[in-house]
Amino acid sequence: MTTDDTAPRSVGQVAEEEALHCVLCGKCLSVCPVYRETRIETLSPRGKVALYRAASEGDLALSAGYADKFYTCLMCEACREVCPSGVELDAILNQSRSDLARNGFMPDSLRQLSETIIIAGNISNEDNVQRLGWTANLESRPAGLDHGGQADVAYFVGCVSSLFPASYQIPQSLVEIFEKADVNYALMGSDERCCGYPLFLNGEGERALEMARHNVEAVRATGAARVVMTCPSCYHMWKYIYPELLDDGELDGLEILHETEVLAEMAREGRLRFKPWPVTVTYHDSCDLGRKSGIFEPPREVLRAIPELELVEMADHHENSLCCGGGGNLETYDRELAQALPRRRLEQAQDAGAKYIVVSCQQCKRTLFGAARRERIRLRVMDLAEVVARQLEGENDA
Amino acid sequence: MLDQNIIDELKSIVGERHVLTSPEDLVAYSYDATFTSARPNLVVLPDSTQEVSEVLKVANRELIPVVPRGMGTGLAAGSIPFGGGIVLALTRMDRLLEFDHDNMMATAEAGIITSELSDAVAREGYFYPPDPTSDYYSTLGGNVACDAGGAHCLKYGITGHYVMALEVVLADGRVMRVGGKATKNVTGYDLVRLLVGSEGTLAVITEVTVRFIAAPETERTAQAIFPQLTDAGRAINAVLASGVNPSMVEIMDETAIKSVEEYLNIGLPLDVEAILLIQTDGDEADAVRGIETAAEICRQNGAREVRVAATPEESEEMWKARSSISGSLGRIRPNKLGEDVTVPHSAVPEMIARIKEISIKWGLPIVIFGHAGDGNLHPNILFDKRDPEEMERVEEVVGDLFRAAVEVGGSLSGEHGVGVLKRPYLEMAMGPLAVEMQKRIKRAWDPNNILNPGKIFPPA
Repeated sequence: MTTDDTAPRSVGQVAEEEALHCVLCGKCLSVCPVYRETRIETLSPRGKVALYRAASEGDLALSAGYADKFYTCLMCEACREVCPSGVELDAILNQSRSDLARNGFMPDSLRQLSETIIIAGNISNEDNVQRLGWTANLESRPAGLDHGGQADVAYFVGCVSSLFPASYQIPQSLVEIFEKADVNYALMGSDERCCGYPLFLNGEGERALEMARHNVEAVRATGAARVVMTCPSCYHMWKYIYPELLDDGELDGLEILHETEVLAEMAREGRLRFKPWPVTVTYHDSCDLGRKSGIFEPPREVLRAIPELELVEMADHHENSLCCGGGGNLETYDRELAQALPRRRLEQAQDAGAKYIVVSCQQCKRTLFGAARRERIRLRVMDLAEVVARQLEGENDA
Repeated sequence: MLDQNIIDELKSIVGERHVLTSPEDLVAYSYDATFTSARPNLVVLPDSTQEVSEVLKVANRELIPVVPRGMGTGLAAGSIPFGGGIVLALTRMDRLLEFDHDNMMATAEAGIITSELSDAVAREGYFYPPDPTSDYYSTLGGNVACDAGGAHCLKYGITGHYVMALEVVLADGRVMRVGGKATKNVTGYDLVRLLVGSEGTLAVITEVTVRFIAAPETERTAQAIFPQLTDAGRAINAVLASGVNPSMVEIMDETAIKSVEEYLNIGLPLDVEAILLIQTDGDEADAVRGIETAAEICRQNGAREVRVAATPEESEEMWKARSSISGSLGRIRPNKLGEDVTVPHSAVPEMIARIKEISIKWGLPIVIFGHAGDGNLHPNILFDKRDPEEMERVEEVVGDLFRAAVEVGGSLSGEHGVGVLKRPYLEMAMGPLAVEMQKRIKRAWDPNNILNPGKIFPPA
């Protein structure tokens, strides 16, 4: 490869164009979780745009310090949502991380994460055969392991639910629901690899390509025409980033779905019958599923189908949902800051009068659950699949 | 670059982490919501009045400029460190210190976000009326330093009308409290009033006591669509003269309508010259009677259509259009200069006509919106600062706008302050004697000229 080290560091055309539209009004400061916690302009969306502009104009060099600001971000895109100039902040944030990664300024902890993903095929450096650990204590071997290449739906479990015991209950619940409803599904076990989203967030979109190819092939081997994910990040990656990375046609014939869409469809078709649950719950929109992928109503539709359940909204919801603090690989880069962020969200749930926060994301569940325990806040956190499995008629109360 | 010993001394006062010196930090604290910028030598983030005091003692001893800053959303370049020095950002000082139900007053540190204060007041069933568009992204201290206004000011007055007491740190580091909770107080000079709107040139505001009022029971909003801008101007005066006491009367001209419609897609008409947004409040009967009267007056004065919001959501949608204008302008041209000339409300139609002439004369788009009920217009000049020839025309436009405002009996600034951008026109607006008397006040309070130097007054 011929590289010219003296050439000005390139910045994407799109990002540059977007940065130009920013009038520095500061409205993004009001919604940025990182700014609201730190109150430091350099870490705000407006600050990042200013840094990006200064770098594009040659007034600021890429450096470890510059990288620190761009990796101290949840990539939650709340800033993009409120921007009155319609600046596509995500283009600027992604481009900056990509410029930094290409020029060797990715922070060590994140570089380590990338290497782990490439070598192990998952985010936690486990032997990839451990991906079925969550099936070990099920009453019977899941039918999805014996699909014989004839499945209708492939369930892409994702790294966290496969490998973090605290999240096992999510895939366990979805599989239970599928089996009760006679869904012909497939599990890919160790043939599944990290979707590549953490690589993309690190600024290494091109390294995610091989993950994409591998995973598409694994799904094809199940014979399924639909792929369903419980993880909104995997879903966003498959639905919106894979098409950019892969060649035209590589995803043809595959329908990409999130659990919330599948469960809503099943509820609509009368395939899920619920016992009453007289409790006040609020639904937390994850950034990757809601704001970034536009899925807001299906999970609410499922919750409203449960008799006697009262669904309330938090102060920030739908497009304006507040990130739990678990996004953007910030947890890997700055654990202390990431752990400080969920408190505000839990307070919003309490203010709304909810006893349960329902999520449809294992990362939101981990983050909010961990924070509730640390802060001794009496709120239960459940994934939508867990709620559905628990409330299906004919089951004993959990 | 500042001497390392001084940096170390500042770090010993506020803590190592709260002195920012990296190139990235200096870029991030170089701007406000205008198009100008200048990097400081360093940024200091104090956590208490005591720390502010210690920092100022060092700065005064070493003659280092200190530029106080809240969230940096000012519109007059008032918090930009043109002469370098220390940016003193008060954003960590954001505590609500006292909520006094009996006196209906609250005391907070200067760095509290204004909406956090007004939300806290609202939760208790009261109302803190000053509502700059940036109330979710500006600080109370910044609002006081610039005497910020907002849409509600037509009926309820501006920030300064609600400030009861201040704690400030003087240039030499001494801490002073002025004002108090007594609602009438003519003991000595009114130093609270002097400090309000002083733009960080006299002292650093560290604590603010504001009063609040009983919340109106309900509100009603109407949106009136005018094919002719001048008709809208006439309608404003007719509504104000009718005895209806509207809480807000806001205007958007055709360019503002177009810009917002492109951003929000909410079905605003693109073939008209102006939209008026009118709000009334009070008890149910008052608010309803008021809005119906105002609507009828608009119809009689040439409105093509008047809609009264049937639900709070509909009303919110109407206001969203207004509050999104400023930011949405970045889509038309990369840079904007938003002025806030204020004229007697009878002169609003005349002023609008003159702004249109100025726009044509210099060939630059000017978007007009603002708080038309109190004569406070926001002509926003749109330009591209990368084009030097266009920048020269911007200067000419600004001069013409200010001259026009003064000629019809108005002022340069209703709520943004002078900062740097309006500095050249101060004498034209106030006369040489009034400027000289203010400079003497400045010298008495800050003999070494370290507090936000170069703001408000043109350099000698």
